[in-house]
Order: sequence, then structure tokens, then C-alpha cells
Amino acid sequence: MSAVSDPEILANSAPTARSRLADLSLSQLVIWGLILFLCLSPFALIIAVSFGEKIEGASWEWGFSLVNYQRVFVGANWPEEVTFLYLQNLYYSLYYAVFAAVIAVLLAFPFTYLMTGLSRRAQSAWLVFILSSLSLSEVFIVMGWDVLLSNRSGLPMVFKETGLTAWLKEVGWFDTLREWGLANPRNVKFKTSVFATVLTMSYLVWPYAVILLYPPLSRMDRSMIEAAQTMGAGPWTVMRTVILPSVRLPLFGATLLLFVFLLGVYVAVSVFAEPAKQTMAVSVYSAVRGATLNAPFGAAQAVILLITASVFLVLGQWMSRRASA
Amino acid sequence: MILRTLSNLFLALSAVMLALPILVVCGAALNSGRSMFFPPKEPTLARFKEFFFTETVWVTALGNSVIVAFCSAALAVLVAWPLAYGLWKQGGKAAQVLAGLGSMPFALPPIVFGVGLGFLWSFIGTLGTLWIGIISHAALFMALPLVTISIGLQSIDRSHLDAAATMGATGSVVFRTVILPQTMPYTVSGFFFALVLSFNEFIVMFFVSASSYSTVTLQIFNSLRNGYTPTMAVAAITFIVISVAVFSAVARWGDLPRLMGAEPAKS
Amino acid sequence: MNGLSLKGIYKDFGSARAVENVHLDFAEGELTALLGPSGCGKTTLLRMIAGLETPTGGSLHLGSRDITALAAHKRRFGMVFQNFALFPHLSVRENVVYSLVISGTSKSDAIATGERLLDLVQLQGYGDRRVGQLSGGQRQRVAIARALAQEPEVFLLDEPMSALDAKLREDMQVELRLLQQRLGITTIVVTHDQREAMTMADKIVVMSRGKVEQVGAPQDIYHRPENAFVADFIGKANFYDGVVENGKLRVMDTLLETNSPASFINGSDVRIACRPEVPSLGRKDIAGSQLNATVTFVRDVGPARDIHLKTDIGPMVVEYARGEEQQDFQVGQDTIVTLPLDGLHVFPEPRQDAV
Repeated sequence: MSAVSDPEILANSAPTARSRLADLSLSQLVIWGLILFLCLSPFALIIAVSFGEKIEGASWEWGFSLVNYQRVFVGANWPEEVTFLYLQNLYYSLYYAVFAAVIAVLLAFPFTYLMTGLSRRAQSAWLVFILSSLSLSEVFIVMGWDVLLSNRSGLPMVFKETGLTAWLKEVGWFDTLREWGLANPRNVKFKTSVFATVLTMSYLVWPYAVILLYPPLSRMDRSMIEAAQTMGAGPWTVMRTVILPSVRLPLFGATLLLFVFLLGVYVAVSVFAEPAKQTMAVSVYSAVRGATLNAPFGAAQAVILLITASVFLVLGQWMSRRASA
Repeated sequence: MILRTLSNLFLALSAVMLALPILVVCGAALNSGRSMFFPPKEPTLARFKEFFFTETVWVTALGNSVIVAFCSAALAVLVAWPLAYGLWKQGGKAAQVLAGLGSMPFALPPIVFGVGLGFLWSFIGTLGTLWIGIISHAALFMALPLVTISIGLQSIDRSHLDAAATMGATGSVVFRTVILPQTMPYTVSGFFFALVLSFNEFIVMFFVSASSYSTVTLQIFNSLRNGYTPTMAVAAITFIVISVAVFSAVARWGDLPRLMGAEPAKS
Repeated sequence: MNGLSLKGIYKDFGSARAVENVHLDFAEGELTALLGPSGCGKTTLLRMIAGLETPTGGSLHLGSRDITALAAHKRRFGMVFQNFALFPHLSVRENVVYSLVISGTSKSDAIATGERLLDLVQLQGYGDRRVGQLSGGQRQRVAIARALAQEPEVFLLDEPMSALDAKLREDMQVELRLLQQRLGITTIVVTHDQREAMTMADKIVVMSRGKVEQVGAPQDIYHRPENAFVADFIGKANFYDGVVENGKLRVMDTLLETNSPASFINGSDVRIACRPEVPSLGRKDIAGSQLNATVTFVRDVGPARDIHLKTDIGPMVVEYARGEEQQDFQVGQDTIVTLPLDGLHVFPEPRQDAV
């Protein structure tokens, strides 16, 4: 407040309202225009298109019909017939995202806590590793897990070669795996399954979880932990009574942000999820550019995805702001 | 003592888990056949030659990836600077709203932003050109330089600005001689973050390229249905090496822990 | 070129008044210390002089020129900041010649001036170092050289010693004063350390709660404080509340004699201050008020001893310089304290306008 003084303003101690307005109209107007055009108009356009109508072929026209939304919620042939096919997609979007986000945070939390206790140099090295993994394209990660989980090579092969499959059959756990859809009569199989989908998705966001938890954990006052120790708290008591309560909100906030991120995952779901358990991101894709080819319908689904994401995003931001306050 | 061993074990296990699929991909790149096997059959380096030199599809795609990544990262930095500067200098609701809007594409599911950009560019009639791909990625990743530059600006000691003023520096001279040089490492970091993520992005690129050109990751995405080839694994290795190199450079010349939100280092 | 004068300067931050109606003259070539506890408005006053803060009202004049609306970068008063504010991205030399380079001085001139200034602050050969490689004292020298590079009409220093350790601080006070006298530059130093102010200043301005309490030469301020705040803030003092009674002062049940100006009305409440070096212990041959006392604590800090006493009028500390009085005092020992006639400062009881 007081420490800030703008030499330009002081130079001419009473800037007129007009000169301020001129400033605004020149540089700021350009910036505002640019940002609104690039960052807001695409979303606005989706909303506008979602009320349009498909016409013959691959084309569509402007309109104001709710038919696309109706199709998402109760199916195209409502009221004669009610289907929840697309709501089911939304359900799987949420389902995968919740599990993957929670698993990623649960594994990232102890990791980040331990990492922030290391020297600054070691932290730097870890961060390079984690950021490299974080920025790695989803296609490569899916490729890696695909090789690892596919039936011809990778883990199922390892299971078979090492005799693990035979052992599983012996102790009777193989049948349980089959019930869960993680085995065929001959060997274990991971593709396609909820397990493989959630595994890949949580792998995908685990580095994000570390990066999100890094600020609160690295800024945490470690003398607080020492104080608790001098008062007789063991490691688990310290974790339960000091560390967890102090990062409760960042943990929750991080989970929400990862959850939002995972709502948009496409490749992992299309490769690893069973055909009947695809997500809304996949059906947006197929409506806009894939098999369905109905842009307004895709837009309507995108709007629903957008609203879902925004709600959780706002909630997450609110959490992290509460946490830092 | 036991706790310490357990801790190290957990860290090591996390590293192994994180590296596992990456290592598998790296190994698969050595396959001599057209299919991905792990462990590789008849290891060869022929795929590297294909990816970098002989197969036009990949060579063009790699060129596009590089162009889009560099240009969009530079553009993102150029747009993010005034946003960050306005936020720091003036503050207030308007600047916050502007910065919030600027971060929106990055925060929301990329598939939604990609679909929206697809509509936008097809209206304007510019869908499918390379420079539209550049602009789209700049919009998507602007949030990254916005964050790093903001951190840089906040780390400037306000008394440095006062000191410059008492030595005769006008506002623009202060900007040029104090603010710009002191925030340079943060600007460069932001550029590199945007660069690496743009390099790896494909969903938004898929919607705005309209199949008229492709980048490396987009090319892989497009051939997803036909299965993977070891050449794609070579692409993966290339990308991993680039990421590690870039982030190591950021760590070497910048304060990576601080950029990621740790307290400033005690000097 | 003449001195700097402030006419009715005041500054509000929101509804709070940080500096109140200050009239001051800074004579050319003099070193003035703005002295006061933290939050007394001294730094705000200095920043207004530098042009870094705009006064809410009043005016500043340099000689006959009104500079109230002149921006900091046009005033170009050299300023040394509390944390020195050296630019970490520039070398020592580049820091020193910053003001010259940005005003378009030729490179060779700038380098020559830079070397001369580094000589002046005894940092020959340090020009190419990074700021981060310097010690606290060296940083301060760079900050001083940097502020002097533009040959300012007024030289400002904001708590220049606070980032240095205690021993270095005393040396630098002397050095800075000698440098200032050599250059003959009008200088204003903000400090909260009365020893520092007394070491360096021609004139001290004591401030408290945004107001100027007293202006004067260091010895004047020490020996003739105008109010209880100054007596308390400058040096040490024992304080007692009393009532005026026929030209004498009643404190508890004891009457103290004094020859300090008896302008107080009989029966009015007063505050009495007594410097610790003033009373004598165990001697009956000095004119003044004699009090019974018991030693409660002896603090021997080497060059001086503080004797803590319980007396008829309350607790008292008496300070002896080493060699001045070689009596031994034991805790619990009874003795006599003599307060000389001219050793008491008497002030009206806390002003009604205060608080």
C-alpha cells in the first residue's frame, strides 16, 4: 500500500480522469479483446451451438432447440422411450475420475511429504523427474501401460511365465479375478477393465497431485512437528494430529482439481475402458468428429461436462483459498 | 530407523512405478518388427533412423511439433506478460478477472476447449492452418507463463523500485533496468513450461488442425486404432529426453522449488 | 543552492495521520538525524523528502524552489535504503553507476566516476563482483557510493546501520560522518538508535507519533530535554511522579529540592526525570536532596556499573563510569543517595492532548 509509489503518477500528481481512460482504451482494451476472444468465446460458442440442430449429412444449423439436451438426459425418442445412455456416460466420467483422483492423492501425499523433507537439491532433482512425467503426453503413457497390460506381452505374460497364474488357480483366487473381469479362462487379463482405466488415469494425474501438494507441504512449519514430538507424540500421532489437520483443505482441493482434470481424459478411457463403460469425453469426441457426427449434440454434452467441471473447479479453488487464508 | 528405511523404500517404489511404463516404451523402441513387444525382439536402432530421417510422416510431424511448441510458447509469454504485470501493478477486480479468464482454458477439460476452438476457427474460416494451431496452443497454455511471471514479479523487492526512482529512473526505465532483468528467469521458465506441454498436447490440436496437418503426438493419436508401432516408441523417447532436458535447465538456472511454490531459499 | 525546508507537511494513510504538520529546516551541509521509535513517522517523512510518498498537505522547498510536486526521479536525492536495495542482477560497478548510465553519461565517464566512488568508500577492486558476494558492510558501502554517484543535493539514509552487526555499526557511524563532512552534503539520516544519532548528527529531530517532539543539537537534547518523552527516549532516566509544593517537589513522602525553573503552580502534578549518572552514592558533601537507599542489584558491564537501588521515592538506577567511584557495593547494603540541585528535569504531568 504505502510502500508502492508510481513515479509516473507522482510526476504529475493529479492524473486526470481522461488520461486514465485513454490508457484503458489503448492497451487494456486490446488485451481484454484478445483474452475474451481466445479464452471465453470458444466456450460461449459451444453453448450457442448446443442449441442448434443437426441437418442432413454432417452439417448443422443455428437454432434454439432443447432437443440435444433432451437427448442427453432422457434419450432421443422421449417420451415414447426413455434411455439414460448419455447420463450413464456422465456417470462413468465421474466414477473413473473420483477413484483415480482419490488414489492419486492418497499415494502422492506421503510421497510429497517425504520429498519435501529432503535437501533442496534433491527436491530439485525429484521435481525434474516429476515434471517430465507430468508433461509427458497421454498417448505415450497409454502406450506404455497398454504394452504392460496387453494380453500378448507385459504383465499377463509375466504372470504366466512366472507361474503366478498357476498359483492363483491353485489357491482359488483366479475365480475371484474372473468374477471381477480381470481374467479369461486361460490367464489374467487387464484389458479392457475398470481396473486398467483407473490405474492409468491415476498414474496420469499422480505427478499433478505431487505438484499441487508440494506448496502446502513444503511451506509447512516443521518445527510444529518437532514441538509435537517433544510433547510425546509418536510418528503416527504426529501425522494424525498435526500434519493431516494442517493440510486437510489442500488435500481436498487437490483431489477436486485432479477430478476435474480427469473428466476430460479421452485416450486412456477409449483404450482401457469396456465399450459399455465409456465416458462423456469420449461421446463428445465421437459426436463432434467421430462416428456420430452431430456437432450440436456434441456441444450439448460438452456444455454439461463444462458445467460439471466448473462447479467442482470453483469448489476446489474456494477450498485452496480457504486453506491459504 | 525403521521409519527412515520405510520412507526411502516408499520413495524408491514411487520412482519405479513412475518410470515403469516409460521404461517399457523405451525398450519397445528397439523392436525390429512392426509390433510392440516387451522385452523387444531382435533389438535394433532402425526405428530411430525412420523417425528422424526416412519416414516423411514423422519427420514432417516432428517439424510441426517444434514450430507449434516454440511459437505458441513465445506467444503465450507475450500475452501473459501484460496480464501478470497488470495484476501486479494495479491489482483490483478487473485484473483478477482478466487473469482468471486467461487461466480458464488450462483449467477446464481440454476436450471442451478444443471443441470450442474448432467451432470458432471454422466460423472465421481459418480452421486447419498451422498458425491457428499456434494461437490455439498459446491460449491453452498462457496460464503457465502467467503463473511463473506473477511469481517473478512478486519476488521483486519494492525498495528496488524506489531506489531506482531516487536515482533518476522514470517508470519505463525502471521497467527496463530493474523489473525486466529480475523477472527474466521466471519468464524463461514459463516459456519452457508452455513449450513442453504444447509439444505433448494433441486433443486441442486434433480439433483445430482438422486433419490438414499433424504433430507427433497427434499423429500417434490418429493411428491409435491401428495399434502402436515401435517408431512411436522412438517418438516417446525423444519427448521424454526433451522434457528432462528442459526441466533440468529450468532447475539449473532457475529456482525450481520456488517456482513450484516452496518458500524462497534462504541465502 | 540552499537548504531544504518543510512547511506544514502532513501525511494521511486512510484515516490515520502518519506525519503531523511538520515544519523543519535542514541547513546546507548539515547532517540531521530523524530519531524516534518505530512507527513514529520518521521513515514516511524521509520518503516524502525523497519524493517516494506524496504529502497529503504542506510543501517542500529546496532553496527557493518548491519541489512538492517534483517526482522522485526528478529530485534525484540519493537514498540509502534500510536493506540497501542493491540490484542483484548487476555487478557492484553497474550498481554504483546506475544513475549515470540511465541518464546517458558516456561509458568511459561512468567507469571513471565508478572507480572514484569505489575508492571513496574503500572498495577498490570490487567493481566486478556480484552483489551476492559482498558482506553486509560492503553492501552498505556500495549503497552509499551508488546514492552519491549522481551528486545529489540532498543525501538520505533510511536506518542505514540496521542491517549491520553491532561492532561494525559503530565504526560505520564514524566513517559515514567523516565522509559526509568531507563532501559537505546536506544529509538526513533516519534512525531509532539515539547513540547513532548522537554520534553522527549536527542536529537531531526527535519524533513520536507523527509529531516532532524536539529539535536541537545532540548535547542540548540530552541535557535539556523539553518533555518527558525526549528525556525517556534519549539516554536513560529514572522517572518519578510528584507534586509541586512551595518550590519543592513532593514524591511520596519525601520533598526534593531543585533549582530547575520553578514555573509550576503550587499543587500541580509533575513528572520528574533524573539521568542515572547524576546522583551520588554514599556522600554527604554535595548540595541536594539526600535519600535513604538499599542496593538491590549490581550490574557490572565492564566500563560502567549500574547500581540498582530501592529509595525513599521508589526504585532508582545509578550509573558509575569505571574509575569514577571505586566504592564497593553489595546487594542489601544501605547507603545514601544525593540528588544534586540541578540534576532534575521537571515536566508537567503527561500532556492532556497525548494518547
